[in-house]
Amino acid sequence: MATKTSTIERNANGSVKSAPLSDICSRALTAKSEWDKDEFLDVIYWSRQVFGIILGIIWGIIPLKGFLGLVLFAGISCGVVYLYAINFQMVDEEAYGGAWELVKEGFMTSFAGFLVTWIIFYTGLHYDTIMAAKTTT
Amino acid sequence: MWSDTILIVFISICTAFLGEGLTWVLVYRTEKYQKLKTEVEKQSKKLERRKEIHGDSLDKSVKKKIERDEEKLKNNNRDLSLVKMKSMFATGFAFTALLSMFNSIFDGRVVAQLPFTPISWIQGLSHRNLAGDDFTDCSFIFLYILCTMSIRQNIQKLLGFAPSRAASKQGGGLFGPTPGQFK
Repeated sequence: MATKTSTIERNANGSVKSAPLSDICSRALTAKSEWDKDEFLDVIYWSRQVFGIILGIIWGIIPLKGFLGLVLFAGISCGVVYLYAINFQMVDEEAYGGAWELVKEGFMTSFAGFLVTWIIFYTGLHYDTIMAAKTTT
Repeated sequence: MWSDTILIVFISICTAFLGEGLTWVLVYRTEKYQKLKTEVEKQSKKLERRKEIHGDSLDKSVKKKIERDEEKLKNNNRDLSLVKMKSMFATGFAFTALLSMFNSIFDGRVVAQLPFTPISWIQGLSHRNLAGDDFTDCSFIFLYILCTMSIRQNIQKLLGFAPSRAASKQGGGLFGPTPGQFK
């Protein structure tokens, strides 16, 4: 997952930030790194997008169904971001305007990405089973 | 079933690029926009910093300064949205035309199966133009909107067209209690 994240972060930060991507990646994977505010939020944003897509693929392959899938995604996504920022990087949440700002960074976009991949993989892989189940009921 | 869904993702990637391209031609590359954008960003950052430093200060002159900065930022933000408005109309027209074309292509077609039953106020969208009352059937428009939501914003961010965090935070505050809080 780390490699996937890095390819996307390169584009993200390359265009806006001057810090090289390899540096940002190594800091992202090291506990208690020094961060510029925007830089850290960018790392959270892009990791979250990749994370959402990966979860969508997994949910689609299993396949997870119903409300549970949505709740699990929201819980895992917010939980992981919170734990990563507060427990792993030990950032001062007050500097970012509270933990809420960190947790909601890029949430809607990653949620949409997650839904798209979940729906596509669920439909693509299990179409026949779904249709068979529908005709019997 | 892969073909329809992949096609929709592809369509939304294309329209996102088209939209950004159109906005670039009409807005992003113009000198006026660039000047206003740097101005707004500079002011937002300055204001944020000033507020952090003097957050609880009761000094009247500081308050006055912050107030004046806020007013300036507000005016610049308004000018910025006016500049953007022009392209919003253009892309709006283009997109309505494109969307109605795609809508007629996918009319009445179930493009995907939803792994969940959407809540009632989304069902109107996810089941648009579809026959039957099986709400796990997904219409073109629902999938397209979801794709656009994630793809367009990510493309904007990748290309650096999205407004900076400081600017959107200060900009959002304009409609909140912030401007009047020192009065």
